[in-house]
Amino acid sequence: MESTQLDPQTQELLDAAEAEVAVRPEEPSLPPFEWMGKNLFGAGQGSTVAVVRSTLLTLVFAALGLFGYRALLNFIFSENTDWNSVRVNLRLLFTQAYPESDYHRVWISLGLVLLLAGVGLGLMKVGQGISMKKLATWCLGWGGLIIAGVFLREPSVLVGDDGTPILADADGVQLTRDGLGTLVYPDGEPAPSQGLSVVRESFGDAISSRTGWLAIGLVLVAAAAAIWFGLGDKRRRSTFVPAIPFSLAAIGALISTTWWYNWGNYTFSTDEETGVSGFNFEPGEKVAETTRNPWTIMFFVLLGAYLLGRRLSGTALEGKVKAFLTLGWFLAPFITFFGILRGPELDWGYVFSVDVPLWLAFAVGGAALMWLLTKPGIGEVGRVIAVLVLAVAAFTWIAAFFGWFGMLQKVRLSFLIMGLAALLAPNFIGEARQRLTLVYGWLGTITIFHVMVTLINTPSSIEVPTEDFAGGFMVSIYVTVFTLLFSFPLGVLLALARTSRLPIFRLLATVYIESFRGVPLITMLFFFTVFVNLFLPEGMELALLAAVTIAFVLFSAAYLAENVRGGLQSVRRGQYEASDALGLTTVQRTGFIVLPQGLRVSIPPLVGQAIATYKETSLLAIVGVFDFLRMARDIIPNQPEFLGERKPALLFICVIYFIGAYAMSKYSQRLEKNLGVGER
Amino acid sequence: MSDTADRSLVTAASQRPPLYRDAVVVKWFAQVVTLVLVIAALWFLADQAGGNLEAKSISTGFDFLEVDPGINLNGTIDDEPDTGGRALYAGMVNTIRLAAGGILLATILGIVVGVGRLSNNWIVSKTSSVFIEYERNIPLLVHIIIFFAVLTGLENFGDDVGPINGWLHVSNKGVSVPRLHIADGFYQWMVFIVIGAVIGNIVRKRRQAEQDDTGATTYPLGSMLGVIAVFGLIGWFLHPIFGWVGGIFDAISDGIDAVPPTVVQLLLTVVAFGAAAEWIRRFLNSRRTPAGLAKLTDDDYFRMIFAGVGAVIGAVFIWIIWPGGSSWLVNSGRDLFEVLGDKFGDGRDGGPFGLGQPDFEQRGNFVNPGPGGLNFSQGFAAVFFGIVLYTAAFIAEIVRAGILAVPKGQTEAAQAIGLRRSTMLRRVILPQAFRVSLPPLGNQYLNLTKNTSLAVAVGATDLVQVGQTVYNQTGRSLEVFAIWMGFYLACSLTISVVVNFFNVRLAIVER
Repeated sequence: MESTQLDPQTQELLDAAEAEVAVRPEEPSLPPFEWMGKNLFGAGQGSTVAVVRSTLLTLVFAALGLFGYRALLNFIFSENTDWNSVRVNLRLLFTQAYPESDYHRVWISLGLVLLLAGVGLGLMKVGQGISMKKLATWCLGWGGLIIAGVFLREPSVLVGDDGTPILADADGVQLTRDGLGTLVYPDGEPAPSQGLSVVRESFGDAISSRTGWLAIGLVLVAAAAAIWFGLGDKRRRSTFVPAIPFSLAAIGALISTTWWYNWGNYTFSTDEETGVSGFNFEPGEKVAETTRNPWTIMFFVLLGAYLLGRRLSGTALEGKVKAFLTLGWFLAPFITFFGILRGPELDWGYVFSVDVPLWLAFAVGGAALMWLLTKPGIGEVGRVIAVLVLAVAAFTWIAAFFGWFGMLQKVRLSFLIMGLAALLAPNFIGEARQRLTLVYGWLGTITIFHVMVTLINTPSSIEVPTEDFAGGFMVSIYVTVFTLLFSFPLGVLLALARTSRLPIFRLLATVYIESFRGVPLITMLFFFTVFVNLFLPEGMELALLAAVTIAFVLFSAAYLAENVRGGLQSVRRGQYEASDALGLTTVQRTGFIVLPQGLRVSIPPLVGQAIATYKETSLLAIVGVFDFLRMARDIIPNQPEFLGERKPALLFICVIYFIGAYAMSKYSQRLEKNLGVGER
Repeated sequence: MSDTADRSLVTAASQRPPLYRDAVVVKWFAQVVTLVLVIAALWFLADQAGGNLEAKSISTGFDFLEVDPGINLNGTIDDEPDTGGRALYAGMVNTIRLAAGGILLATILGIVVGVGRLSNNWIVSKTSSVFIEYERNIPLLVHIIIFFAVLTGLENFGDDVGPINGWLHVSNKGVSVPRLHIADGFYQWMVFIVIGAVIGNIVRKRRQAEQDDTGATTYPLGSMLGVIAVFGLIGWFLHPIFGWVGGIFDAISDGIDAVPPTVVQLLLTVVAFGAAAEWIRRFLNSRRTPAGLAKLTDDDYFRMIFAGVGAVIGAVFIWIIWPGGSSWLVNSGRDLFEVLGDKFGDGRDGGPFGLGQPDFEQRGNFVNPGPGGLNFSQGFAAVFFGIVLYTAAFIAEIVRAGILAVPKGQTEAAQAIGLRRSTMLRRVILPQAFRVSLPPLGNQYLNLTKNTSLAVAVGATDLVQVGQTVYNQTGRSLEVFAIWMGFYLACSLTISVVVNFFNVRLAIVER
């Protein structure tokens, strides 16, 4: 936690070194034995000491690695590890107790995200893809690991007809259970109560019971060998498999197995008549339809979106679609969370009698105002009007303080936004096109704002046992996304204030940033969940999820500000001087010259910050949110069926966290390469 | 933007823009308004909090530090603290233990893994990569909880616990390792070491001068360490002869006790104003150019005003807000030297160090780890190893980046003058790599220190966990929060100061 990503400078050094390696001409591949000699046994370094040292290191580290691998395998396949605790709880882990009757909302949200992702992938400029050489190395590596695993793992424990492990006494004589379930010798003698141990199958039996795995491993190794020896060294490197279609095909193949392979049916269901809920374990059955059908649809949504993206790529529409995608990604968290998943119960009468007229009034009035304020030659009058609007906004807040006019909070906020937009207006004075930009921007902003406020103010129709409908991995993701969305503008403002020439702004920003960076996140979370209600006026309470999100936003903004500051400082002095020479105002210089260049440099550290936030959301488990970690740590081990069964679920969430963070860090490296940061 | 340019031309032509467009006026107006708004918001919140606390009749204040909190801790220096302050102090000690031990171990492990990742040996570099990726991409809290789950799932603790009975115990009671601790005669022995260091330093300088003059290899650093070692060895047997050093500290202690608090207050005030005046003087000097004093900006005035205001605030604090502070200072000084007088005093003739081995203790019906070894409870061990491994992965990446940042020409030049590989690493590569790595390393140390607060998730008694227990018991949540903030900010500051000190010393001297 604590934003423990690497510092931007360190990351930059590493990436520069990797880029240097990437442009180096590739050496031809060595034959296997020569490769091993060079890379494992120190051959070719010209001294006996080097050979001895390298060989020793190889032996020690190989032993260490194999030992760890064996321990992991033994745990995964142990008879004491109950993977059912994960299998039947998958929905709990990802979406908490989201009601079955409303589960289509989850699928719609996921489908929406996949739609955006698919189109984006289709439009993306792809690189060369995966080279055959890399593919062969993967196949060899995974195949080798699987084969090694088959021989490394200890033989399984023999299980009797009743499903419990067979026990033997100290001399190795197998025991059985009599009709009452007590342990006895085969001849009926009562067994001792101490010195018993489980019986394992013989090594030969163990290997033969794992032929399936062995076969998979051998196929992979054979594939590697076929690629390796079928293609020459040159062709191995220059033949590529396109990465995205390859991945899509792999996902499709995986999902298709749910139709023809019996993975087993594991569900949690409630009997309609008796109202009793329970787990169903049916190993060897068809996959539950509630899993198979939605995932098949999801796959086709992704595939269709991808093909659509490919189709649009290079056409005249591409630019528009990209802009639309960006807007879509920005709005998707709000729409899916507040509009779909939260299931707002709208009171349509109220919506049409109050919300819609209010929105129309602000939209039309504001648009007219913006059009007026951007008229060429309006001069000082425009500013005066803008300040007047701001004054009205300020007055509504003062009125609220003294309780003079009752009005919706929405109205006050709308005035405030209008005032700020009016202040921006002088930057858009000019031709009709330029003026319309501001008008459209205003219409979009106010519409989104009103829709969001309406949705948030409507009670949720989702019935769950906990305070919040969101939980599990879902809540981790949403807290991450909202934190990043809100902390970004705040962080940029703080960075600007800290680099500003105005001393009071700088002082305030510095105090804020340093005090938030100086304390652990967990104390801030405690502050916002335990103490914050002391600071609020009477009758006002902060919901738990809102409180922790605010804590995350404030905390993350301090770190983000430092990253952005690094970017801002990289903007050359000449840029400032040039913009001064052009006569740009401070706002124009910041908005059009400094920020675009500074932010571009700070994108990689910002992705690092995103990864840090994603990992930090695990702290939610401590302050009482039912997040991903809490499900695995507290909820599953307390189910009567899986009392104390903590480790399988923990291992599972490890894998999911890993996939997310690893994917993001790879994406950041790719992004950096595309941006060409550090190359100029 | 042609009309913008026109406008600025017009502005320049007329003598003075209208008030609401005057840059200086607008700038200061905006700043003052923001400051007022921030202060007003904070005041509003504080007022709310005061009102709410009164309405719920929750008492406030720091008196809980002096009162029995009625809590029990485990695995601290004082498991039954008799005041709230003592309980929090015990928590702080544990946090510092975690942080200090963690920094030491994580640095060593991180350097090993970082160098390992750059190794020519494929399997060493792959193992290091897998370790780093595993640690970096999984949240720290998950690591800690996995450690905790594994430890609690281990076999029961008993007399025959392994893996190496008597030296290393790993069980569901946690982890016990041997403990090297300072013993009776340590402080007198330290007198010997200090003398040895002084003499050794003189020897080192001489030898260095000789080496610089003649070019002969004289091992300056080695001789210094040798001198210190000789003194340490002699001191091991002779240290009781320095029992009289304690008398000096006792005398200082008595001397401090005789100083009246008002004198201390006066002294502190003089120091505060003196420091401010000196700072302003130096600042003005730095702005002085051959042509006379440079034109001062708003910012410069602001800084000078800030220094003056700081001195006034200091004086107000010393005389009005906390007048008892000076007598507290006098008392603490007296106590400190009294303790030192005792530690260095006569009659301590044991060895300077002692070794404790893990042992057992029968408490009631259960066998527990005894006081001999260094015992980590489950939670403490989980947090400690969790943060050590996690931070080590980040340090490894920093070390790798540092080594890769050394230009290739350095390696080639070192080879060209015929240095051996080990000498090259020691004398050429690592010193330069260390210079690049130090600032990010300091950041990781800060992170590690703050990460110790995750102990609260597994019930290990660090400051946050103890603080939580204290405010649940006494209701003084805001006060505890203030203590948390103060402590962690102080830790951050200390680490930054130390790292900066070395950073400045290591920086390339540019002419």
